[in-house]
Amino acid sequence: MSNFLATSDLSSYLPIFLVTLMAAGFAIANFFITMILGPKRDGKVKGETYESGMVPMGTARKRFNVRFYLIAMVFLVFDVEIIFLYPWATTFPNLAHGDSNAIIWLSRIFFFLLTTVVAYVYGYRKGVFKFD
Amino acid sequence: MMDRLAYLWPEIALFIAACVVMVVGISPSVATRKFAAVVAGLGVVAAGILAWTTTPSGNAVTASSGQVLLPGLALYAKVGIAIVALLLLLLKPGTVDRAEEAAIALGVQKFDALRTNRAEFFSFFLFSVMGLMLVAGADDLIWLFLALELTSLPTYIMVAISGGAGREPAARAQEASVKYFFLGALGAAVFLYGFAMLYGATGSTNLNAIHLSLTTGGVSGLALAGLLMSVLGICFKIAAVPMHFYTPDVYQGASPSVAGFLAFVPKTAGFLSLLLLASAVGWTWAPGENGLTVSGGGTSLPEPLRILFWVIAALTMTIGNVLALQQKSVRRILAYSSIAHSGYMLVGLIAGPGDGSFTKNGVAAVLFYLFCYGVMNVGTFAVLSGLERKTRDGQMSEIDSIEDIRGLCATHPRLGWPMAICSLSLLGFPPLLGFWAKLPLFTSAISAGEIILVIVLGLNSAIAAFYYLRLFGAVFLEKPEAGAGEVTASPFVSRRVAAMVSAALVVALVVVVGQLTDASRKAAAPKAEPAASATIPASMNH
Amino acid sequence: MNMLASIPGVLDAAVLAQASAPAPMAQSQLAHYMFISAALFAIGLIGFLTRRNLIIMFLCTELMFQAAGVALIAFSRFHMNMTGQTFVIFILTVAAAEAAMALALVVLLFRRRESLNAEEFSEMKG
Repeated sequence: MSNFLATSDLSSYLPIFLVTLMAAGFAIANFFITMILGPKRDGKVKGETYESGMVPMGTARKRFNVRFYLIAMVFLVFDVEIIFLYPWATTFPNLAHGDSNAIIWLSRIFFFLLTTVVAYVYGYRKGVFKFD
Repeated sequence: MMDRLAYLWPEIALFIAACVVMVVGISPSVATRKFAAVVAGLGVVAAGILAWTTTPSGNAVTASSGQVLLPGLALYAKVGIAIVALLLLLLKPGTVDRAEEAAIALGVQKFDALRTNRAEFFSFFLFSVMGLMLVAGADDLIWLFLALELTSLPTYIMVAISGGAGREPAARAQEASVKYFFLGALGAAVFLYGFAMLYGATGSTNLNAIHLSLTTGGVSGLALAGLLMSVLGICFKIAAVPMHFYTPDVYQGASPSVAGFLAFVPKTAGFLSLLLLASAVGWTWAPGENGLTVSGGGTSLPEPLRILFWVIAALTMTIGNVLALQQKSVRRILAYSSIAHSGYMLVGLIAGPGDGSFTKNGVAAVLFYLFCYGVMNVGTFAVLSGLERKTRDGQMSEIDSIEDIRGLCATHPRLGWPMAICSLSLLGFPPLLGFWAKLPLFTSAISAGEIILVIVLGLNSAIAAFYYLRLFGAVFLEKPEAGAGEVTASPFVSRRVAAMVSAALVVALVVVVGQLTDASRKAAAPKAEPAASATIPASMNH
Repeated sequence: MNMLASIPGVLDAAVLAQASAPAPMAQSQLAHYMFISAALFAIGLIGFLTRRNLIIMFLCTELMFQAAGVALIAFSRFHMNMTGQTFVIFILTVAAAEAAMALALVVLLFRRRESLNAEEFSEMKG
């Protein structure tokens, strides 16, 4: 650990640094070029929020219904479940064809998926899916 | 694979029960809703029976199926946990949804699934107990981390929803929950980083492999840093000194039924994981005169770790006891006493396993103390949750002030006597259970040569006598207050039952103390051959 | 795929060989990751202790969790086994569960007090 910040090791990051520099440079350059080259016409309508061509109504600083939070939670269950499917899915094909362990592997992942079903049954009974 | 499942049957029972409770608890029918608590009780009983019958221990444990450092730990801990959890469950009915249920019964309000918390409350109870049992069976840092989090995460929600309908208690419960959750997340991050360092130093997360690596290759600086951070993070769970600040506020803000839960479940999880970590780093077993001994005698923890434990133990005991003296709230007294008891138990951890006989075995002393503390502690919190008074906005809330328990033996003998017995037992008054629990801590520390720590422990027991005798005197000697009629017994009979059962156990278990200490000695015993030479699978990391 | 492979340096045999059998990490290289991870942890800890907004405090604890994750992945590569990466997947799960709970608590508190300042929640003392 004595050569803690040895330059020889850091030099491998040079391409990343260059790309970062180029990306930042491109964005900043564009910003200034449009400021210099672009025509400027200001007006009240132009300063308004863009709302898919419609006249915007109300304020953007509005509180959302807490129901959206419940939907987010239901999504989170699914979202996290998927992380565990990937390692399983990448290792499952490694089993030889006709391996007797395959059924155990499969039933394990189905048991795991079953726990999601429990979460959804709970959510259903709790009334998360009632949109009224 | 099946040998690994053998460790999990109790947890599977609890998991199924928790899922059923979660779905059944949300039902428009009152009878079905009330059935949730029964299902939870059945789940805990089933888990206890399965733990007793299926958990392997002793030489049945192999390095590929479980941790061989303390192979009897899982069996002892899981059965003990199931017993105390059953007592704790008796406190739970009526903690949430009380006002809603009353309004529904009157027909004022209709059942609304989003407004009831019963299903969550009982299933979180089961999940937390399940996490605790998983800690007892852990043989891997990943497992240990997940189990510790599974123990803690449900308790944060349980604290938050335990305030009931009154505005003031509900606000206090939420405040308690915030403090508890944020410090808990900090503690989790700290011990997680410690686990990462341990993995980095040893190249494995398997406790057997870590033990092998640390005892053969020596404890590197990285491993030591990892261990120190793990211990500091776990101090949150056991309410020990650098992370103890939340304890009084949380125990006061949460309802006593949940506070009693917090005083046993996360604390036990913390101590079990400290035992696992300490046995992974030290305590190399070798054959000796009296069966198996620690090579080199006394404690074989690395010196910095031993000093850390020493300082934490001494500070935790002293701070807990001294601050408990000036409290007026019974809940805060019990919270500080819970801190102090953690300090006592750390003494056993420092003493280490000695030569394996019970009087010299600090690990067995800790395990025995945990069970006894669980039983005594449920008693005191059950008394608090069995009494209530009106808050300003007309809702019923559990009592808090020490004035409210004055003369309890005269006014409510069925709650007064359990309080008297349990507070004497927590003090460690001879013939009661607490005395027999504390004795081996002293003897094991003396045989390990920790004389100064024993003196600190003795002084602290003397300080503790002040406030425990104050509780005892309040219920037994003092006359009831003039306005004592305001304090009424809770309509939930099971809480009173829990108080009486645990008081009865505090007295009755003294008869079988020999068997209990024998069980805890077996739980702390190593495998018949030294663990260091046990075969570790070539690669646990494929 | 073939078209990509024909571009020099994109998917040539040497790169593929390296991907299937990575070389162990040098200790000096590990130090870089440890430095990042320690910095993340320190930033998280300092933020947790100094900031008073509950959401920021929660994000700081998440930062500390991810610091452990970075360390674990670096160690995993250093030791050439997958345990560390497995650990990280579980950490992510726990972090998600904690986030769900933190947000629930924050919603509950904001509805009652209209504030997320940690100082507001200090009714109990002693």
